[in-house]
Amino acid sequence: MKVYQCDQCEYASVSNKYRCPSCRTGQLQEQDVSSKGSVYSYTNIHIAPAEFAHLAPYTVALIQLDESKAKVTARTDGNVEIGDVAELDYVEDGAYIYRKC
Amino acid sequence: MTNVYIEGIGMTKFGKFVDKSMKQLLVEASIEALEDAGNPKVDAVFVGNFMGGSIGNQEILSALVANELGLGYIPTAKVEGACASGGIALRQGIIGILSGEYDTVLIAGVEKMKHASTADVTQAINAAMDNDSNEKQAGLTFPGFFGVLANRYFYETEATKEHLAMIALKNRENALNNPLAQFQKPTTMEEIMEARIITSPLGLFDCSPTTDGAAALVITRKKGAIHIRSSAQSSGPTQMQDADDLLSLPAVRESGRLAYEKAGVGPEDIDVVEIHDCFSMTEMLAIEELGFFNKREGWLAVEQGRTKATGDKPVNTSGGLLSRGHPIGATGVAQMYQLVQQLRGTAPNQVEHARLALAQNLGGTGSYSTVHILERL
Ligand SMILES: [Zn+2]
Repeated sequence: MKVYQCDQCEYASVSNKYRCPSCRTGQLQEQDVSSKGSVYSYTNIHIAPAEFAHLAPYTVALIQLDESKAKVTARTDGNVEIGDVAELDYVEDGAYIYRKC
Repeated sequence: MTNVYIEGIGMTKFGKFVDKSMKQLLVEASIEALEDAGNPKVDAVFVGNFMGGSIGNQEILSALVANELGLGYIPTAKVEGACASGGIALRQGIIGILSGEYDTVLIAGVEKMKHASTADVTQAINAAMDNDSNEKQAGLTFPGFFGVLANRYFYETEATKEHLAMIALKNRENALNNPLAQFQKPTTMEEIMEARIITSPLGLFDCSPTTDGAAALVITRKKGAIHIRSSAQSSGPTQMQDADDLLSLPAVRESGRLAYEKAGVGPEDIDVVEIHDCFSMTEMLAIEELGFFNKREGWLAVEQGRTKATGDKPVNTSGGLLSRGHPIGATGVAQMYQLVQQLRGTAPNQVEHARLALAQNLGGTGSYSTVHILERL
């Protein structure tokens, strides 16, 4: 999993930014970390926009990565609960698909 | 202190109007506001609107208003800030008057959504998210964001789905007394708790509806009875995964802080509140972020009935977005319509002796927030 870590402060994100939005001086450096993390929260989406309607109901979870301060929004394969340990299964159309370990 | 005053208000009924165009709704609300203000000369028009282009194929809304109402060749603009379009339109008008450029400005907000399918509306609303992101690709929706927040809130506090239902029920009960509200059918805790799930844990009654409607205001530098004591606006994270604290809406917190500072008052001084309850969960977080109750304790205040029309901090006496309805671009303006009525003493669910009122209008998943504090002179 690629994360972007500020070279001046603690800030980290899975999405790159022009400059660090936290300290506003640091540059974000690309880092490779384990995709493993725990479910911080989630929702089961029953009503989906047209482009995802064929998947509904599906689960979107916010994963707190183990090796970074960054969190990642992922779709999960099956239901999850807060605290569940999960890892990246595959990437599909730019979406991270996680599954419970 | 802005020394800008609200002179006139207008609002259509909120609901489903298949026979009326967006222009018609916009013009009806505007005429009512102008007549309420005694038909003054207008120097500019700002219109709040979000999806007129995407699902209605209609832009140039502000020029339509000036033209239809014969306001002359005055400057006009549409303002887009997702669900905060109305609040930001109002703020642009205030700034226009503060700059010295205008004396009197017509502010309007409108949306027409009921003709489109739920899937199409959900898709259009998703334009208020950062769509160049893995988050969007994961299938996160706008309501889904608040579902994720709600599950975390339940995890960190003793709050349950019942507390969200209490918010939905309160706002429905308020709407029963508001003739312009979309939903005027009574409901029960049981019905709310058992309604179909939209995005867990949020059910049908936890989500604001799609709505057709418009609202309008006339603001002016000429001293009147309703003073806009302060106007503030802030931005916040545009992606859930970038939130520093998932249970915080920094834009709401910061716009509230700025508005209190500019007005020289605190949350304890506010008599009546309209909050952006696009979801029951959003009202829960906003009452905390605006300082009415401690962080992670909003649910307790809800349980104790403190935010009811009869409580010590009445929130959404109009019925809120949940039951008054949420025609996106009109919402921030409709909040003002209710608060001006409260300060004039003519509101549905009138709060006795209301003198200071606060409106908070949210856009996106916390991307924009405006706060306006009104005072009865
Ligand atoms: Zn930094």
